Amino acid sequence: MNKKELMNNKYFIAALFLLPALIFSLVYLIIPIPLSAYYSFFEWDGIGAMEFLGLDNWAELLSDPIFWSSMANNFKLVAISLVIQIPIALFLAVLLTRKIKGASFFKTIFFVPMLLSSIAVAFLWRYMYDPTFGLINGVLNLVGLEHLTQSWLGNPDIVFYSVAAPIQWRFIPLYMIIFMAAISNIPEQLYEAAEIDGANNWQMFFFVTLPMLRATVVNASVLIIVGSLKYFAMIFALTGGGPNHASELMATYLYSKSFTEMNMGYGSTISVALFLVALIVSVVFLRFSKKDVRN
Amino acid sequence: MKKVLILSLTLLMVFSFVFAGSVMAQDEVTLTLWDIRTAADQATPAVKDAIERFEADNPNVTIEHVPTQNDNYKTKLRTAMSADNAPDLFMTWGSASLERYVDADKVYSLESNMTEDWENNFMLAALDLGRVDNEMYGVPVTNVSPALVWYRTDLFEEYDLEVPETYDELLNVVETFTENGITPFALANSNKWPGSMYFMYLVDRIGGPEALQNAISREGAFNDEAFIEAGRRIQELVEMGAFPDGVNGLDENAAQSRTLLYTDRAAMYLMGSWAYSSFKNEASDMVDQFSFFNFPEIESGAGDPSNLVGTPGDNYYSVSTQAPNKEAAVEFLKYLTDSQMGEQLIEIGNIPPFTGVGEKIEDPIMKKIYDASQNANHIQLWYDQTLPLELAQVHLNTTQALFGMEMTPEEAADQMEEAAQEYYSE
Repeated sequence: MNKKELMNNKYFIAALFLLPALIFSLVYLIIPIPLSAYYSFFEWDGIGAMEFLGLDNWAELLSDPIFWSSMANNFKLVAISLVIQIPIALFLAVLLTRKIKGASFFKTIFFVPMLLSSIAVAFLWRYMYDPTFGLINGVLNLVGLEHLTQSWLGNPDIVFYSVAAPIQWRFIPLYMIIFMAAISNIPEQLYEAAEIDGANNWQMFFFVTLPMLRATVVNASVLIIVGSLKYFAMIFALTGGGPNHASELMATYLYSKSFTEMNMGYGSTISVALFLVALIVSVVFLRFSKKDVRN
Repeated sequence: MKKVLILSLTLLMVFSFVFAGSVMAQDEVTLTLWDIRTAADQATPAVKDAIERFEADNPNVTIEHVPTQNDNYKTKLRTAMSADNAPDLFMTWGSASLERYVDADKVYSLESNMTEDWENNFMLAALDLGRVDNEMYGVPVTNVSPALVWYRTDLFEEYDLEVPETYDELLNVVETFTENGITPFALANSNKWPGSMYFMYLVDRIGGPEALQNAISREGAFNDEAFIEAGRRIQELVEMGAFPDGVNGLDENAAQSRTLLYTDRAAMYLMGSWAYSSFKNEASDMVDQFSFFNFPEIESGAGDPSNLVGTPGDNYYSVSTQAPNKEAAVEFLKYLTDSQMGEQLIEIGNIPPFTGVGEKIEDPIMKKIYDASQNANHIQLWYDQTLPLELAQVHLNTTQALFGMEMTPEEAADQMEEAAQEYYSE
């Protein structure tokens, strides 16, 4: 009897269905956060005995110039991504939602970078950046701009921008699709009304499309901010953070500390710091953008 | 239904007891062997064959071979050792990886079993890494792979160059190639270890093998003159244009170095002997245009030009102190290091660390590598494997910075010494 009652209780059924997902997110997402924080107080090679250090790892982190420069690189990546990805994605989205010839063809073409795996994209760009055989220096030589040829991944002054480029190329399509979905949800009447009021294309974009996309742009920005703060894959594959930490991000630094040097304690400290930075920045950004809406 | 289940379980239990009893009655010995010879490993058939030969000659001994993939193996062995669950026979990489377990009394000393015959079976330099405090704890079994200066013989002929025997002659070669628009050395150093080879050789040629040994034993330091001078010479080469542009941005794993060799844009390549198989795979029609020479001598330096840097013997096999039947285990090691094993390793393109197998090598380049290793006074294991992890990383990073001219030789050496002081004081 009791069993039957239980099976008729819709909350119980719902909980039952949520259980697998809950277990997975507990094990792989929630529990590791306090666990990492715990490890950050130890000296630990991942296998052997753990030695309690108190706040030593944190003190070391605060005076570690490589950590600070990698964090600066993360914020540079946030700025570059916001300035490049959002406007270009928006432009492409507006363009492709217009009734132009071949729109669906271009939609597919533009989406291709998103379908490639990060590591494949990184290798593609690695060959393009090759100073002797690469496409980029090759084209520069061909058109007589030899003085612009660079050792794209070897020069510490420009390597960061070289590795940031493929990240932009790969993620623009994602935001393009998000914006296209949002644009197609804007009611047609708004445009009709604007047209009757005599608005031109630019005015329609700035006074209808953009305000209606506000929430989407904010969400996309949060995704970009958090994504850039914890970015890892292509930089790891292209330079591993080098040369001499010039393209190091917090995540690549955390990887080399934890898994190359087997210093799990310090690696956990970096990962908790990364978590805190991403949390604070996104909370502040969300607060800030909400306030603006009310005004 | 339940009854049948219980009955069968009981029967199973009884049988297994009986079986175990009968094994003991016949005085059967089972030795467990842990190594990295998984199905994907080239040397696996040779090891399996040694096991079969041993079992055929010793019918009362069974070897239970448990291979584990390389990265997991280290963790697995470490865990088993710390839990006193060591296998009877296991594999390490010699040197520090073996010393750790010797210090913890986990490894049986082979010294009393080291007959002269058996000892003479090994290349001298390879044995060193199996020794701890002058006692043998592990015997080398697989691949000798020293770093060598590979070069394009046809390019040397074209510019009328001789193989350089001294460092000054090498600088002349470098100059001739740069004047003719050819990059002297193909090098891709985003991976850091390829550039480290130049540093290791220079330190050896300037200060001899003692320079590093003293720095590690703390009788010397990592900012001793040999290390600073090595850094200076690297930067001298960089300034002469000896390396490709943007050398720290090129990827060795993507063959960005060798591509320069294949396209006549570079002439030399300091790389482990495995480069030879890369040439065979990637440019089979050019293989006979490649040869190698030993890193040249620095006349004012202490290092012997026969000294090599590299892997003197890759995998060392040892017996655990916990093994109940050590005699059988040591006997098995002899099968693992006999001439038949050597021949099988040669067949797969390995150079075994054994003496007296040279005449069985047919390929002239392989033979030359074998002779160079055989004649080496000392083979220095790669720094990034000799040094503890923390210092290895500092070594790799500072050396990369030397190539990028982002650090002076003094700064690089001081940073290394500072890290060493911190590490060894703990």
